Amino acid sequence: MSLIKVVNVSKTYQGGEGAVNALRNINLEVSEGQFLALLGPSGSGKSTLLSVLGALNPPTEGEVSIDEISIYGLDDERRADFRHEYVGFVFQQYQLIPYLTALENVMLPLAITKYSEKEQKNMAQNVLEKVGLGKKSNRLPNQLSGGEQNRVAIARAIVNEPAILFADEPTGSLDSKTAKEILELFQSLNKDGQTIIMVTHNLENLAYVSRSITIRDGSIDTKPGLRIGGVS
Amino acid sequence: MRLSHISYENVRRRKTRSLLLILSIMIGVASSVFLFTTTRSMEKDVADKLDQFGSNILILPETGETLSFGGVTVGTSQGKELDMAMIPVMKTIQNKETLATISPKLLADADIQGKSALIVGVDFTQELRLKKWWKINGLEKGEVPAANEILLGSDVARILNLSPQQQVQIKGQDFRVRGIIQPTGSIENDQAIFMDLTTLQRAENKPTAISLIEAAAFCYTCPIEEVTRQLREKLPDAKVTALQLTLQSRDDTVQRFSLFAIVISVILLITSGFVVAMSMVSSVKERTRDIGVLRAIGFRKQHIIQMLFLEVSFVSLIGGLIGFALGMGLAMKFGPLIAQMTVQVPWQPMLALYSVGAALVVSLLASIYPAWSATKLDPVEALRYF
Repeated sequence: MSLIKVVNVSKTYQGGEGAVNALRNINLEVSEGQFLALLGPSGSGKSTLLSVLGALNPPTEGEVSIDEISIYGLDDERRADFRHEYVGFVFQQYQLIPYLTALENVMLPLAITKYSEKEQKNMAQNVLEKVGLGKKSNRLPNQLSGGEQNRVAIARAIVNEPAILFADEPTGSLDSKTAKEILELFQSLNKDGQTIIMVTHNLENLAYVSRSITIRDGSIDTKPGLRIGGVS
Repeated sequence: MRLSHISYENVRRRKTRSLLLILSIMIGVASSVFLFTTTRSMEKDVADKLDQFGSNILILPETGETLSFGGVTVGTSQGKELDMAMIPVMKTIQNKETLATISPKLLADADIQGKSALIVGVDFTQELRLKKWWKINGLEKGEVPAANEILLGSDVARILNLSPQQQVQIKGQDFRVRGIIQPTGSIENDQAIFMDLTTLQRAENKPTAISLIEAAAFCYTCPIEEVTRQLREKLPDAKVTALQLTLQSRDDTVQRFSLFAIVISVILLITSGFVVAMSMVSSVKERTRDIGVLRAIGFRKQHIIQMLFLEVSFVSLIGGLIGFALGMGLAMKFGPLIAQMTVQVPWQPMLALYSVGAALVVSLLASIYPAWSATKLDPVEALRYF
């Protein structure tokens, strides 16, 4: 059974030069435990699709269901609760809160739960150790390298064990060695059963994923013969 | 970790912005406390001076009618009189410290140069303290007439054609005119002859008798009605009356000061509130991405509002407390000097509660719009996600 079901989703933005069709009639199903890469050139609509799938960005048309819940049928606050329970995000620029330590950043999603302070600390510390940053938990983001910040962002995204992990260009600004480490970390999480949807424009990353689709001009590219096109 | 921890860390680790916000609240509270406490003390100073400036309590006997002084009848053989022994009794009331001046008077009539005149026996020291507005020709400030000297009301001096240093015979004794009181607009003062109380008591052969007592009470801290009630209890045979006209005028003046103090303090607090609002708006803008992240990971709008309000509360508490201490300290040190008043500004610990409370309320009100606009942020826009 599909964990994510996308039916006829379109997204149109009203820009200065008229309407822009960021997504056109997208139909997609993602099963539990998949590691899906969304490929495509800049401006193709892959990040928009990620935000629509992540319950952040309502589509203009169509329906998105996760675990059989029509997420855009929920009101704003319930959708926030849904994101808290089902979704973890790793943002392009990591988006760590600069005045909180690595441990506190990881504890953020737990701050609105009923876990005690001690339980929150233990959970966050365990996840930081899982991503290899157990000894740097008290550092502020500006005291960490890009790769380390990325790991903190991943730890924050998985600390409350979400059903789906969304990552937007997680290796975009990393050197190849660090990028490889991050992708291996994703692969390891996926092997443990984590569903991951990752936006990337780097074809080398496909070696780590279980499935990829290409987005071009807001649509899923199904043309045969393309190196990275279609559904794998 | 709780939301309060995130807010606290934001205040603690973003030092410059937090300090600026604390500073703006502190300046607002300090200025308000300084102005409020100083003007309140000025109010007290003015009230005390007004209380000294003329009597506000009159103590009368039950008596018949012949000559009058201030609506009081001159004692006759049929009328009752007060006794000098009442004066020490008056000084035993609970609020005795409020009785600043007690001026006993004996009223008598006399025939001078074939004309009937009102003689008022007074304790000149007390009387001149009570009638600070008197301008007396022939008597320098600080001088007090002797036992064989008299002061004349302007009308009496004109009718009897007397001027300072002239001699006049009253009830068989010679008196020197020490001074002429310039017209006061009060018939009682302008048509009376003021003589030493003891001298008149001897001349009248009533060594301890008095016709009335005028008193001035400082009543900033106690209502004058309370003082008069206490006096009535101690002097059951006398009629103790508060002079409502004097009180009304005093209260009007004092209330204007009070209003002035409140208006200035409120204006300063509102100005401070605007600074907080502007600062919070800029803080929300500065943290657009952070708020976007929090919304994206599942924080509700109410969590964002709660965090911003907690942040403002921390800052307000710190700014309010420091502002109170600073304003109070400045008022105690420099208030009397600046306002040229004689009273000291007292330490008012309860004002700390009101200052911090006001800082909190104003800051929270000022944060409503920034908090509301923070909840309106689209997480995708906030993250510049696509």
